[in-house]
Amino acid sequence: MAEFFSVQDISISLGGRQILDHVSFSVDAPGHVIGLLGPNGSGKTTLLRALCGELPHDGHVFLEDTELAGLRPKELAKRVSYIPQQSGISISMSVLDVVLMGFYSKLGLLSQPSADMKAAALRALATIGMADLAERDYLTLSGGEKQLVILARTLVEDTKLLLFDEPDSSLDLGNKYRMVRMISELVHGRQNSAEADFSIQSQLSENFAMRNADADHSGKTALICLHDPVLALACCDMLMLLKDGRLICRLWPKMDSVKDMEKAFSEIYGPVRLVEISDPEMQDKTRLVLLPII
Amino acid sequence: MAILTLAMTFLVIAFVSALTTGKYPISLADLRAGDPMAVRTFTVLRLPRALMGLIGGFGLGIAGFVYQTVFRNPLASPDIIGVSSGASAGAAFAILFVSAASPSTTVFAFLGGLLAVCLSLGLTALSPVKENSSIVLAGIAVHALAQTFLMVLKLMADPEKQLASIEYWIMGSLAGVTASKIPVPVVIILVTSAVIFLLHRHVLALSVREDEARMLGVSVQRTRFFILFLATLTVAAAVSVTGLISFIGLLAPHTARLLTGHNKQSSCLLSGIIGSVLLLAADVLAKSLAAVELPVSIFTSLLGAPFLIYLILSERRH
Repeated sequence: MAEFFSVQDISISLGGRQILDHVSFSVDAPGHVIGLLGPNGSGKTTLLRALCGELPHDGHVFLEDTELAGLRPKELAKRVSYIPQQSGISISMSVLDVVLMGFYSKLGLLSQPSADMKAAALRALATIGMADLAERDYLTLSGGEKQLVILARTLVEDTKLLLFDEPDSSLDLGNKYRMVRMISELVHGRQNSAEADFSIQSQLSENFAMRNADADHSGKTALICLHDPVLALACCDMLMLLKDGRLICRLWPKMDSVKDMEKAFSEIYGPVRLVEISDPEMQDKTRLVLLPII
Repeated sequence: MAILTLAMTFLVIAFVSALTTGKYPISLADLRAGDPMAVRTFTVLRLPRALMGLIGGFGLGIAGFVYQTVFRNPLASPDIIGVSSGASAGAAFAILFVSAASPSTTVFAFLGGLLAVCLSLGLTALSPVKENSSIVLAGIAVHALAQTFLMVLKLMADPEKQLASIEYWIMGSLAGVTASKIPVPVVIILVTSAVIFLLHRHVLALSVREDEARMLGVSVQRTRFFILFLATLTVAAAVSVTGLISFIGLLAPHTARLLTGHNKQSSCLLSGIIGSVLLLAADVLAKSLAAVELPVSIFTSLLGAPFLIYLILSERRH
């Protein structure tokens, strides 16, 4: 079977400087949360913007055998969602209207969102726990609430590939984890993530390949740019480490050894220690903590 | 809904006052009796003038709503892409070289406005950076060009007659409106406003930052070009008959948003209605306060500015 999502030789140079240097990776099947980690200026956001066609680039991006470059905006929007660090909504509109924008690619020129679409939008708001805020002005929400509303919009867009640009950047600790938990639920399906509590686990016994064979994922894959490696270890199935525009390492947090991951992180963040600690509250589970060596 | 009803009530009052005020007193009884002078004044002058106030104000209000939303700027107005100055230059050109008679002024003002818009949007299409900022920059360039052209025309104008006509046109007035002048502009404004109203969802989508809008499936450049073209066509049609009318396009959308809350479809409609009320009321004052007709822009600003100040002072911060 062909790959579900494949990125081949993406290169970008701006003003003579190589921002991305032949980045390639692929996933065979949907149902993955892929984390993109790297120091500032490593090209994370650039890669994300290239994948969604915002930046001209060399190389190819395929999603289910369709090359994304050259798709019309509506066709692209039916397949890919891009969730920016902060949404660029700057005039007041109701939260419901913001979520309904997720249906844009499915509506004809003169048609209006149907009653079903409105119901779906309200359901999406209920999913993120904001059903009672549908009529509120989006601009009056807090940063965390805004991000969640954009996540609700992503829910109604119902696309196969979700690109998140640092969803944790403007959120406090609680909202950060809430956000990634929802992303994980979206990708893995509810069943799986009900058990996952986002404590950092290194349950090597959990066979990653086996879980992929599970049918209860959603058919989606998310690619998330993250700043916080601990958060990334908690929520991602696969991590890609970028440095100076090159993909230097791929990690599978649930399978790779702590030592290997520590080595990889040290390469991009400078010397760090990855420490496994047991959580007295949760038996059989250990957490990973990343400590810089000062 | 209550707000729309209230606005409609004001609109009816303003429209009736516009019909009943004027130099030549007309009573309902005269009209019923078929007094030829009264009927003629009513059908050729009074009614067209009131209709133009109604429809023109509506168009300016809706267009203002579109500009402010698409440019995400509360100060955006038709002049941001040079339409008003283009229309002024067109009108001045007609006054100088064609004839000071009104139909040609209207036609040339419309063409001038249209030319300015095509230039601004065309320049943006040629530029490698196709963002809002480049439309604004192109608009500033076109505005400056049109202003220069206007200045040259003013220098060439005979100061006694032509210069006065140009200045008077720029100050805006509904005084010259007659039945023969309004059908084309009114039809244009009604059609463009209706399409804008139906495309409200797209106008709103354009208010989102461009990369995000594109990823939602919006063909940003095409949609923006089309919607701005519609809005500008509306403005060009209105000012070609009335001359420049300040403030309505700026004030009406703000008021509508403050009254309805968000940028809903009803805010767009209300913005049009408020535009109508404002222009009709300003025209009633312009024709009744002094022995001579006064420029209507004086009153749109005079009514509008204090109201805007009030809104600014009473606005609750988020």
